[in-house]
Amino acid sequence: MPQYALVIDLNTCVGCHACATNCKEWNTQASFGPLSDFEPYGRNPEGVWYNRIMSYEVGDFPDTQVFHLPKSCLHCQDAPCVPVCPTGASYKREQDGIVLVNYDDCIGCKLCSWSCPYGCREFDEADKVMKKCTLCIDRIYDESLPPEHRKPACVLTCPARARFFGDIEDPNSEAYKMIKERNGFVLFPDMGTNPANHYLPRTETKVHVDEHLLEAENPLFLEVVRRHYKGG
Amino acid sequence: MHPPFSLIWFFLTAGVSIGLFNFTYFMEFLTLFGKDTALPKHMVLISNVISLVLIGLGAIGASFHLGHKLRAWKAIKRFHTSWLSREAVFSGAYGFTLLIFALLRYFDHTGFWYHFFGIITFILGWLSAFSTAMIYASNKFVLEWNTSISVLYYLNMYLMLGSSAFLALTYFYRKEFVGTYIFLTFLFLALGLAFRLAFNIRQFYIKKPTINEALNLPHNRPIRVLDTGTTTDNYCTEEFYYRKGKELLPSILPLAYILTFIVPLFFVLYMWITGRVDYNFIKFTFLFIVVGSALERWSFFVEGNHVQNLFYGLYPEEGYTLRKGYMERKKTRISYR
Repeated sequence: MPQYALVIDLNTCVGCHACATNCKEWNTQASFGPLSDFEPYGRNPEGVWYNRIMSYEVGDFPDTQVFHLPKSCLHCQDAPCVPVCPTGASYKREQDGIVLVNYDDCIGCKLCSWSCPYGCREFDEADKVMKKCTLCIDRIYDESLPPEHRKPACVLTCPARARFFGDIEDPNSEAYKMIKERNGFVLFPDMGTNPANHYLPRTETKVHVDEHLLEAENPLFLEVVRRHYKGG
Repeated sequence: MHPPFSLIWFFLTAGVSIGLFNFTYFMEFLTLFGKDTALPKHMVLISNVISLVLIGLGAIGASFHLGHKLRAWKAIKRFHTSWLSREAVFSGAYGFTLLIFALLRYFDHTGFWYHFFGIITFILGWLSAFSTAMIYASNKFVLEWNTSISVLYYLNMYLMLGSSAFLALTYFYRKEFVGTYIFLTFLFLALGLAFRLAFNIRQFYIKKPTINEALNLPHNRPIRVLDTGTTTDNYCTEEFYYRKGKELLPSILPLAYILTFIVPLFFVLYMWITGRVDYNFIKFTFLFIVVGSALERWSFFVEGNHVQNLFYGLYPEEGYTLRKGYMERKKTRISYR
């Protein structure tokens, strides 16, 4: 069964929030919008976002690393939010594995959000229904768009090219290869939800230095020494 | 978790309704075995009207939890997977069969159909209570709730509310059962106290996940939440983390224990030991249980910690025994800003 998903490279994500902003911009005007805002220019702006970016610092000072974690619905393959929905408004499509909410059937009981361990569903206080990432289903199947634009808005906008979209069950897809080649991982693997969205781990940058570069007459020698043997 | 008052209201109204009917019909049921426990018609009707009004008020009140109240009927569609759907079906059916039962008693049809609908209503009431309890107990992302103690405790609360309400009613109509129901109220209060203590004590032994587990990072790396993407609270931080409630919980929880268990137990034991049955004691036993249960339900919600709070650095800081064979205990540091 195909399973469309996002693959996010934590190595290149710079936490610029462009994906979240473009997601909001597209989805507030497209088929699943609007995404309500309250006091957008006030002291306590609040609103519905499909995608939120968290930033974490790992390690003890001074050996720390900061990474940014864009988090939207992970379109779990065993989505716990689907069976708890009393009306069937929350469902997982068989043809592409995308988890959606039918706004006409949603009664706004919030039980699906209670059953999501990732906090990826948000209640829209204006429309009184639960909303979540749709993987831009209104873009990816839109034949009026050029094929290269049939991707989620967040993927298209990412300036660092940290986001990839594809069928993670198809060995020929870019997303599948990324996960296999770069040890893609998922959030909260112990929760038994089998998330479809994957993250590519941060890796330490290793520079291979050829022997001839270390010869004194090489003009790059001093630069190499300065960079890699600092203090040694 | 943020306590929704509409759900606390539903617990109280459905609890008294189902609990009261449970004991009312139980007495009628015993007559099938030749026992002299038949209740006066007037008492059965008053009890049924109270149960009907309360389940109706409970359903109306619970609908305030919904975004779209007029679509509530759609909640019957996922009966095969959703406990909320089952609760809606069972509690609706309970109200309907209870109405038929009351009408049969009103028109003095106390034969086969009276007991048929009595038994059906009895079963539907408990199925409704069980489904409500399972909504909380089956949620594996709120570890405090995810236990069979939640179900046992929830059902016992219905018995506590029902037995004390029946005690207040039987005092006027069949005084000879007062002693029995003083004992039953004591029994369910004592069981309730034991289950609530077990629920609280268990919380010290839950193996809580850490932010490392949430982010799928090695267990021994300290992680700090630097930024959560918003300058203010959002739906997730408001629904799953009730800051004010967490501050009030150390005061409210002991109060809930005192009002729900300690004071009513004192009243019931006093009546049992001295044999002096005063209606004021009976009345206040019931009232204290109702008010205490409301506070207890509030505490139940606030005590629940949803695992999504880990991403926001709002989950309780706890060590836990590592899985996968590493039997060392580590403290993972979590801090927010």
